[in-house]
Amino acid sequence: MPTVVLMDVSLSMTRPVSLDGSDEFQRKNLAVHGLNMLFEHMASNYRLEFTSLMAFSSLWELLVPFTRDYNALQEALGNLEDYDKTCVEAALNGVSNVVQQEWAVTDGSLGIGKGSLRHSLQTQKHRGDDKKFPLPFPFPTKLFIMSVANAEELQMTDAMDNLEELLRLSGGDGQIFTMEGPLCMKSVQAMFGRLIDHAYSPFHAVLHCGNLSSDVQVFPRPEPIVMDEEVEPMPRSVNIDLEIVGFIEIADISSPPVISRHLVLPINVNKEVDEVGTGTTDELEEEPSASQMAGKSPNFCVLLHGSLKVEGMVALVQLGPEWYGMLYSQADSKKKSNLMMSLFEPGPEPLPWLGKITHLGPISEAAENPYGEDDSKSPFPLQPSAKRSYAQNVTVWIKASGLQTDVQKILRNARKLPDKTQTFYKELNRLRKAALAFGFWELLKGVADLLERECTLLPDSAHPDAAFQLSHAAQQLKLASTGDSQYAAFDHNIAPMHTDFSS
Amino acid sequence: MKMFSVAHKTVFVVDHCPYMAESSRQQVECDVLTKSRAQGVIPLAPVSKSLWTCAVECSMEYCRILYDVYPLHKLINYIVSDSEFHILNSWRQEDQSTHELMSALAAVGPPNPREDPECCSILHGLVAAVESLSKITELQHERRTSLMDTAERVANRGRIICLTNAKSDTHVRMLEDCIQETILEQNKLAAGSDRLMAIQQCDLILVHIHPQGEDTLVSDRPKKEISPLLTSEIHCVRAGRHLSTKLNILVQQNFDLASTTITNIPMKEEQHANTSANYDVELLHHRDAHLEFFKSGDLHMAGTSTRENGLKETITLKWCTPRTNSIELHYCTGAYRISPTDVNSRPSSCLTNFLLNGNLSSHDPSGKLPVERAKAQLERHTRYWPMIISQTTIFNMQAVVPLANLIVKETLSEEDVLTCQKTVYNLVDMERKNDPLPISTVGSRGKGPKRDEQYRIMWNELETLVKTHAGATDRHQRVLDCIIACRSKPPEEEERKKRGRKREDREDRTEKNGSKDTDDKSWQESERLKGLVDKEEQESEVIKDSPDSPEPLNKKPRLCTEEVQPPERAKGPVSLLTMWSNRITVANSRKHQEFVGRVSSVNNKFELYQQLKDENGMDVHENGKASR
Repeated sequence: MPTVVLMDVSLSMTRPVSLDGSDEFQRKNLAVHGLNMLFEHMASNYRLEFTSLMAFSSLWELLVPFTRDYNALQEALGNLEDYDKTCVEAALNGVSNVVQQEWAVTDGSLGIGKGSLRHSLQTQKHRGDDKKFPLPFPFPTKLFIMSVANAEELQMTDAMDNLEELLRLSGGDGQIFTMEGPLCMKSVQAMFGRLIDHAYSPFHAVLHCGNLSSDVQVFPRPEPIVMDEEVEPMPRSVNIDLEIVGFIEIADISSPPVISRHLVLPINVNKEVDEVGTGTTDELEEEPSASQMAGKSPNFCVLLHGSLKVEGMVALVQLGPEWYGMLYSQADSKKKSNLMMSLFEPGPEPLPWLGKITHLGPISEAAENPYGEDDSKSPFPLQPSAKRSYAQNVTVWIKASGLQTDVQKILRNARKLPDKTQTFYKELNRLRKAALAFGFWELLKGVADLLERECTLLPDSAHPDAAFQLSHAAQQLKLASTGDSQYAAFDHNIAPMHTDFSS
Repeated sequence: MKMFSVAHKTVFVVDHCPYMAESSRQQVECDVLTKSRAQGVIPLAPVSKSLWTCAVECSMEYCRILYDVYPLHKLINYIVSDSEFHILNSWRQEDQSTHELMSALAAVGPPNPREDPECCSILHGLVAAVESLSKITELQHERRTSLMDTAERVANRGRIICLTNAKSDTHVRMLEDCIQETILEQNKLAAGSDRLMAIQQCDLILVHIHPQGEDTLVSDRPKKEISPLLTSEIHCVRAGRHLSTKLNILVQQNFDLASTTITNIPMKEEQHANTSANYDVELLHHRDAHLEFFKSGDLHMAGTSTRENGLKETITLKWCTPRTNSIELHYCTGAYRISPTDVNSRPSSCLTNFLLNGNLSSHDPSGKLPVERAKAQLERHTRYWPMIISQTTIFNMQAVVPLANLIVKETLSEEDVLTCQKTVYNLVDMERKNDPLPISTVGSRGKGPKRDEQYRIMWNELETLVKTHAGATDRHQRVLDCIIACRSKPPEEEERKKRGRKREDREDRTEKNGSKDTDDKSWQESERLKGLVDKEEQESEVIKDSPDSPEPLNKKPRLCTEEVQPPERAKGPVSLLTMWSNRITVANSRKHQEFVGRVSSVNNKFELYQQLKDENGMDVHENGKASR
C-alpha cells in the first residue's frame, strides 16, 4: 500500500519544545526526526513501496510525488519551510487529488504530522453541506495520525476528540499515535517505532517444500482477514511457515480469483538482522555486494521460480488451517519475472473446479494417470455433484413462448413418426413431468387433444405405426391428467407402444 | 453475507386450498398453427394456468436460481398447506434440488376444488414453517460442534415466503400474529432440545396472489417490524407474468444477486444455418461481481439499463469471443456462479453449452487425505536434492533415471527392486568400460578429475540418495545393499588395474573409519577436484553424513593402499557380476608387480609422507593440501 506522508508545516509546529537541557528543538524538528526514521526503515524493508510527501498549512503542496527514492524524501524533509496555520481539510483534499491522479485506482495510507489542529478542526465542525468533507476517501485507506504532542496535551482541548472524529470519518482503519513522556527525540523515536511495528513491519516467512526451504519476505504484507464476523470474529492471518502441498498445471487452475497478490522475495536472514536498527545510507550503498553474495548461494526460491516458469505450473501453498494460495512466476517484462504468491479466499474449497484442496493428491498414486499417458486430458474441472439448471434440460414455462416451444417440438416430432419415435417420447415425457409437477393437468388434456387431431390429419401415405403411437401417447396423457396415481407418477415414463411395425 | 443470516434457511409455504385451483385468467395459446395447415383445422382452445400452477412454477424458478448460484448452505424447505400441512423436503443437503421438489409436487397434485374450504387454511403451513425454522440444519450442527465453547455464535435466522390468496388486511394481520405466537412457543421448546434452535430472526414475505382483472382486498406493505423476532412485508401480485417478475426480484434481494446482460453474442440462426445474428443473454449472480465497477465509478461505461418494471437494473457487457490461451495466468479478483434468467431460451442454452464443454471427473478420497500423501511425496522427493546442476552427477545421468524415479516411492515392488538393481549393474558395467561421466569440469584446472575419481563421486552421490530412503522398507534397503555390494572402491579399482591381488588378501576393513578428520579430508579432496571451494560446507554436509561411504581417500589415491574388493563382505548374496569381476581382477593382478607401499603395508595400509608428519606434528591434512 503506497504511503502519503502529510506534514504539518504551520507555525504551531515551530513551537519550541521546552527542554531542561541545552538544545532547543521545535516540534517540527521532532516530526522530521521521526519521519526520517520511518523513511530509513522503509528504505531497508519496504523499498518496493511508493511514498510521497506533502506539506500543508492552510494550503497544501506536493513536495515529492510517489517515489521509491527515499533519499529524495529525506532531502525534502530537510528543506521544509514554515507557513501559516493548520488546515486539515485542505490537506486531505490534496491527498485525494494526488492519489487519484497518480493512482487511478489504488489504496493509500496516510501519516499526518500534526501540531495544533484545534482551530481548523473546530471550524470544520461548522462546514456547510455544500462543501463535502474529503473523508472517507474514494479509495481504501489507513489513516495514521502522528501527533507531536502527548495525549494529555491533546485532551486538555478537544483536539483528541477531533482527531478521533477524523479517524472515524476515514472509515476507522488507522490509529492515532501520541508521544509518551516529554517531547524529545527519544520519545518521538518511540512513537514512530510503534507506527513501524504496527503498519510497516515486513512479513518474513519460511517457504517449505518437503525438505527444501527458503527464508522469504512476502511483500506487501498479507493483512489478516475476517471471514464471518459472527461465526469467526477472529481475523485469520497468514502463517509464517508456508508449506507447498503440490503443483498443478496453469490450465487446470485457470486464472483463479484471489484476494491479494504478493511478491515473494528470498532473504538472507543474517543480513536482515544486521540491518535492523542501523539503516544508514552508508549501508544501503553496501547492499549490492550483500545481494551479490546472496546471489551465489543456491536458494530454493530461485529453483522454484525457474521450475514454475519452465513447466507452466503453479505451486499450491498452505497458508494456514483451511487456507491456501498459489505461487507462480509472473512476468514483469519480457526479460524479468518474479515469484509471486496469491491468496485464495480462506476455506477448504476455494476453487470449485478443483474440489477440496485436501482431496488433491499425487498423480503417481492414481490408478490411472488422470492426464492420460500422452497428457491429452485433464481431471479438471471437476463435475459438480449436482448439475446446475443450465446443464440439464429443465422445463420452464414462465413465459408463454417456453410452453409453446415445448408443445411445438412434440408436434414436429409427431409428424415424423415413426422415424422420430425416440425424440417424440422424450419430449412428451419431459412435458408430462413438468405438467404433473406444476399441477397443470389442463395442459396434459390439451396436448392429448392435439395428438388425436394430428392422428386424424395423417396423410394416407403415413406409416401405419404413426397412428398407433399418436393415439397411444394421447391416451396415456389423458390418463395422467386424471391424477390417478397409477398413471400420474412423476418418475413414470410413457413408453412407445410396441407394434408389429415398430420392430 | 453472514453464514447464518436469514438467507441460510428459506421456507416456502404455498397455499393448496381449493381457491388456488381457480384460473389465473391468463391464457396461453399453445397450438400455433402454421399457415399451410391452418385450413379446415380447428385450433385448440388456449389453456390457462391455475393460481396454484403459477405459484408453483414461480417458486420453482426462485429455487432454480438459488441452487444455481448457491449450491450449498442456502437451504429451502417447501411446505404445502390445505386441510393440513405437507412438508415436501427437509433441510438436508441431499433434499436440496428442484428435481426433488418437482417430484414431491407432482405427488401433491393441484388443489382439489371440491374440498371443503372451511377445513383448509394457509395457517397449517405457516405453523409448520416456524417449527421447521427451529430445526437445526446440517451446517448449523457441524458449526456448533466445531466451535464447542463458542457454539452460541451459530445463529438461527430464517425467512418464510408465503404464496397465498389472502382474504383481507385483517386476515394478513391474523397470520402475522399467529406466526409471532408460534415463534415464541417454539423458542420455549427449543430451549430444551439439541435438535431445535431458538429462532432469533424471522422475515416473513407474504405474496398475495390474485387472478387477472380481479380487485385485491389486500394492500401492499413494505417491510415492517412486528416484533424483535419477526418482520413482515406484503406483496400483492397478479398471477402469471407479474408473479414471476416479483419472485425474480425477491430472489435477487434475498440473496444479494445482481444482473448482467451479455450483449451481442453471435449465434447461428436456427432456420438459416449460414446466417448469424447477435443475441443478448441475461445472467444473475452475486452482486459482488459488480463491486469493481462501483469502486472505479465506471458503471456508466459498462452500461446499465432499467427494466420496464423500474425495479431491476442490469449491467450490460459486450461479448468478446475468448482468445486467451489457457496456459496464461490472468489476474482475477472474483469468480461468481451464474444462473441464466431465461434458462431454456435458445441464446441462453447456446451460451451455457459453449461454456460447459469440459471433460469432467470426480474422485473420492479414502484413508489418508490425498493432500497429506502429496506432502509426504514432496518430503520423499526432496530428501536429497542438489540445487545446482554442476553439483550433481547422478541427476545428469540418463542411466540413473530408472533408479532415481523408483527409490522415492513410498513402497517398492519386487519388480521395482529388480529395476533398481539392473540400474546399479549397468553403472558397474559403465565403470568397467570406462564410460565418461557428466561431471562438471567448471572451475577445475585441466581436464577435471580422473575417471576413477569421477566414478567414486558418482557412487557416493548415488549412495547418499538411496540411503535417505533405505529406512522406508526392506526393499528400499535391498537397493542400498546392492549399491554397497557393487560399487567400486576407487583405490582398489585402480590397484586392480595395475597389479593383481588375491581376494584373500583383502583386509577386513569393513568397519567404517568414521573419524571426522578423514571425512573432512575426503571432502576437501572432492571439493578441490570439482573446483567448488565455496560450496565446501554444503557439499561436505551431503556426503559426509553417509556412514556407509567408502573409505575416504587419501589425497593420492593411486599410492595409498586401501582395502580391496568389498563386495563379498557386504550383506546379501553376491551377484554373478561381482563374482565375475573378482575373477577378472584376480587374473589381472597376476600380470604386474606389486607396489612397494602395498608390500610393506600394515593392515593393508601404508602411511604416506611419514617424514612430513614427523616435522609438523599431526596436521597431515593441511600438509597434504599444501604439498599439492
